[in-house]
Order: sequence, then C-alpha cells, then structure tokens
Amino acid sequence: MRKLPTRFACKFLTIAKFSIAFVGAMVIAQSANAQGQLNVYNWGDYINPEVLTRFTEETGIEVSLDTYGTNEEMLAKIQSGATGYDIVFPSVHMRDIMQKLDLLHDAKVNTLPGFENIDPANMRSKVDPESSYCLPYAWGAVGIFYNKAEAGEIKTWDDFFALPDKGKKITMLDDLRETIGVALIKNGHSVNTGDSAALEEAQAWLLERTDKISAFSYDIVSLVQSGDIAAAHWYVGATLYTLEEPDKLGFVIPEEGATMYQEDICVLKDAPNKDSAVRFFEFYMQPESAALNTLQQVNGTANVPARDLLPQELKSNPNTNPPPEVIAKLQIFEDLGNDLRKYNQVWTKVRTAQ
Amino acid sequence: MIGKRESRRLAALLIPGTLFLGIFFMGPLAVMIVFSFLEPGLYGGVEWNFYHLNYGRILGWADAEWEKFDPVYAEIFFRSVRLALTNVAITLLICYPAALWVSGLTTRWRTIVVFLITLPFFVSLVVRLFCWVLILRPSGFLNSTLLGLGLISEPIDIIYTETAVLIGMAYILLPFMFLPLYASIEKLDHSLVEASSDLGASPYQTFLRVILPMTLPGIAAGAVLVFIPSLGNFIVPDLLGGAKVLMIGNLVEQQFLSARNWPFGSALSVMIMLVMLLLIIFFLRRIGRSEIVK
Repeated sequence: MRKLPTRFACKFLTIAKFSIAFVGAMVIAQSANAQGQLNVYNWGDYINPEVLTRFTEETGIEVSLDTYGTNEEMLAKIQSGATGYDIVFPSVHMRDIMQKLDLLHDAKVNTLPGFENIDPANMRSKVDPESSYCLPYAWGAVGIFYNKAEAGEIKTWDDFFALPDKGKKITMLDDLRETIGVALIKNGHSVNTGDSAALEEAQAWLLERTDKISAFSYDIVSLVQSGDIAAAHWYVGATLYTLEEPDKLGFVIPEEGATMYQEDICVLKDAPNKDSAVRFFEFYMQPESAALNTLQQVNGTANVPARDLLPQELKSNPNTNPPPEVIAKLQIFEDLGNDLRKYNQVWTKVRTAQ
Repeated sequence: MIGKRESRRLAALLIPGTLFLGIFFMGPLAVMIVFSFLEPGLYGGVEWNFYHLNYGRILGWADAEWEKFDPVYAEIFFRSVRLALTNVAITLLICYPAALWVSGLTTRWRTIVVFLITLPFFVSLVVRLFCWVLILRPSGFLNSTLLGLGLISEPIDIIYTETAVLIGMAYILLPFMFLPLYASIEKLDHSLVEASSDLGASPYQTFLRVILPMTLPGIAAGAVLVFIPSLGNFIVPDLLGGAKVLMIGNLVEQQFLSARNWPFGSALSVMIMLVMLLLIIFFLRRIGRSEIVK
C-alpha cells in the first residue's frame, strides 16, 4: 500500500483488477508462440507494465499479473491455498514471516548472474541476510507530501504538526504501523518496539494530536494538489507529482527521521513455473530493467548500476536517492509477532478519539 | 390437507434451496462462531484452543497482557448504532415525501423516476463516494457555490466529519429506503383516503390515521434495509470520515487485515449479528402487532 500515487485506494482494487485482467488477456492473445508462463502477484500499480512487456519480448514468457492491496491480504490468500502464483512482492517483514511459515522457495538468488548489481544495504531480511530466497526489489521513504502555497517549507515533523494551529489541514496514513511509527520516532523509540511503556507514550503523543489530524487516509493526492490539505504523511512516490509541479508541491523526509518500506521479489514454494521465475530474476537484475521500472515508480532501486542510468532529476533527488546520513535515520518495519496486538489496541484508541 | 405424494414433492422442491442456504449461509456463519471462541494465530488464522478473551475484551474481562479491557469497543458499537439510526431517519424523511409524489405521477413518468433512482447502481460505489470528497472538500463544489452566492464567508468544514459520513451513507442507501416505501405507497387504496376526507378528517388526520398505518410495512422494510448496511459500512467512514469516524465495520476490517486477529473480528461480528437479530425480531413483532390491530 505504499507505492504509486495513481493508486486510488488499496482496499478498492476491484476496478484495477478488472482492467489488469483485461490487459492481461489482450497480452496473452497477442503472442501465440508461448515459451512459458509467469504468474505475478503484486501490489496494485507497483511495477512498470513496460518492464513486463519487455520481459515477454526478450524471453517469450507470457506474464499474467494479479494484484493485492496489503501484505495481509496477500498472506491470507497464499495461506488459504491459492495456487498458480509464481512470484510475490512482500514487504521485508512479511517475507520473513512467509519464510518462517515455509511458503517460499529457495531460488538461490545470490548465485544468479547479475546479483553483483544488488546493493548489500538492501538485503534487509532478518532470516535470509544473504538474499538466497528473495531479490530486493524497491524501497522508499515515507515522509511528508505538501503544498508549498499552503504549508510553506516543511522540514520536520514539528513543522508538520504546527500547521493545524495556523488553520491548515494535515492528514496521516490509514496504517497502524506507519502512523504509530511516527509517534515512536518522535519519542525516541524504535518503530519495532514491543515495550508497553513506549507504546503508551506514543499513544499519549498521538492522542494529543488527533484533533489536529483531519484524516487518516491514502487518497489525498488531489486534495494536496488543490491545497485543501496543506500537508500529508505519504510515500516517496509523491515525487512523481513534485517533479511535475516543483514550484507548487514538495516532499520531504523529516529531519527527526521517518519510516521506510522495502519489498522483495520471492518465489512461492508451490510455484508452477519456477524456471520462469528465475528467468525473471535474471532479467530484473539487469540495470536497464530496474532503471526502467524506477523511472515510472519514482522510488529507490536496489540495483546499483541502475541508479546511474536514471535521469538527473531522480539521481540527484534527496528523496528518491537520499544521502547515507538520511538513510541512517530511516527505520524499516520488522515482524512484531504477538506485540502487534498492542499496536492494534493503540490504533483503535487513536482512531476513536474525537 | 396436503396429500402424502404432494408433501414428498414439496420436500424435493425444497431440498436444493435448503442445501444451498445450509452450505453457503449457515456454513460460514458456523465457522465465524467457532472462530470467535479460538485463540488468534500469530500470522492470521486461529490456534485450536478455547479462548474466551475475545468476548472478554468487548464485555469486560481480558488478560491484560496483550490486550486490556477497554470500553472503546462498546463505544464504537453505540456510535455505529446511533449513526445507523440517524441514517434511517434521514433517508425516511427524504424518501417518504418523494415516494408519495412519485406514486401520484403518470405511469410513464413513474417508470422513468424509478429507473433514475436505480441508475447510480450502474456506477462503482467508490467512484461515487470519491465524487462526494470532491464536492465536500473546502475548495469543492458545495463550498465554492455557497461562497459564490455569498451565503457563507468562509468554507465550511464538512469533509472528514460525522456529517460527511451521514451524507455519504444517506446517499448510497436512499434507493433501499425508497423502493420498499414506494411499493407500499403505490399499493395504497386511494378510495380509503377519499373516504377519510369525506368523513371530515383533516389532511393531517388522514395521513396519520390512514396513510401512515397502511404504509408501515414499507417503512419497516426500508428501515431494516437501510439500518443493516449502515451499521456494517466501512467504506464511507474511510473515504468521507477520513477513517476518524471509526465504525464497527472498520473495526472488524482492521481485525481481519492489519491486526491479523481473526477470532476477535469474528467475536465482534457475532456480537453485531446478535444485536441486529434482537432488534429486528423486536421490530417485526411490533409491526406485526400493529397490523393485527388494524
């Protein structure tokens, strides 16, 4: 649910699914000389369709694409025995869960040609630090997307939370880990803490601010563009819009730190086309493929040479390609295990406060 | 009396429907009830151990290690009921006069109007609700119109409030109130209305004593049809309430997705169903009695 600005609402993917199925059907109808099949299960709008087209052109392998809106939705579907999918794109903490649940196939990714292109910094898995199972795909920061006319310059979370006092509207993400994560960062805790006292502190901090937060929502792009919302807690994918209208819109990774996301590409244990999946890994590890994808996704790629192929506006962008000292301030989610239940309670409290 | 052969034939005819309901309605229901008494699995799903704390969290006892008892769930429930009842009242107030008016039109116009009322069903719900976001936002259609007419000097804050949720829910559920109301008003015997006024009743008395009691079944059907989806709705509070007007539907959704606590979600659903069942039984009994009186 990070991802691309064009996504409308992660929970309402039905329309997208239909259109993707339609496009998929057309693609299949087009080329009759099939060399194999690859069934992709990915987040909505989380891969450049051109990458898949080019993969088919190069290998003759037909691709079908199906989408999900949350990690949990995908996990539930795989757990309930959905078969036929070859590769999935879980977030790092979710791929760790899936590996523990024995849902993934060890594709020996780190022995494939092209793996030397992958930035070791992007091998973030706790259970598979060598990236044998999955290929690091893309990553990005979660910061503040703002309208410069309404919000002025924003540099910190404090700037962000000062806006409502000036009569401006702000929104945060409708995601328990992201929003509680900001509160934990502001109070000097890890976004993966299971400590009840830290969570209570974060809860109190958020409760003090709930009347300032107009909404918890993903669907705010048009409202920030129109200035109805001055600033919103949002994904780096907003760069797509800030590059279009640099005088009007801005995105910043707040100085106090922020959360980040990363997804990996994994092969499922019962994937019917494991050979096609390996072909896809090899294809995607080519810098040209990763760059093509990043160009449309405007986030970070794990492919080092691909970064050099990007246009200057993305390469020198402090948000899509942040300097090391900024990266050091970004925290990634880990699996919480049972502690998730504490977060859930905090989240319910925060959302009921009027 | 039904003959033996006939009753056998009836039974044969009933089997497919009964089986269908049994498998596809009672089956999932049973799964939900069983799950609500089990321990949540670490990564979704359930552990097959008896666990009463799902209800404990809602009703007053909890283990206090992972979750504390919190009246917040009851609060969310009552808020949802209040919003759902308000929505029933709003749709009734809009639809009753409208249905009266439509039933007085010529047959041709009636068909057109009824068609127009069902027309929104052809467009995706999410798209329609997102249009409401564009209408209600500070620089949106509503505010710019009011500002242009000089009726207000500053944009009014509607988006992401309870008012916005009520507007959205009334909008999507209007047809569910209108159609049953219209069906019962259309069947109204106009000679009774005429008789009432011939006998000296004022229009007000005629409405209260003749029209209203006779259309009560339509009101009841409409009320139930609007109340139930209002109570369980989570899309409207998400989009128009900015996820801040948390309703019971949002809470259930949260349990099954981001919280990965299926048993608690099931327990919440069982509670909602019980309350709705009681409400509806009570409601239908009252209506049934008033019909006997008539």
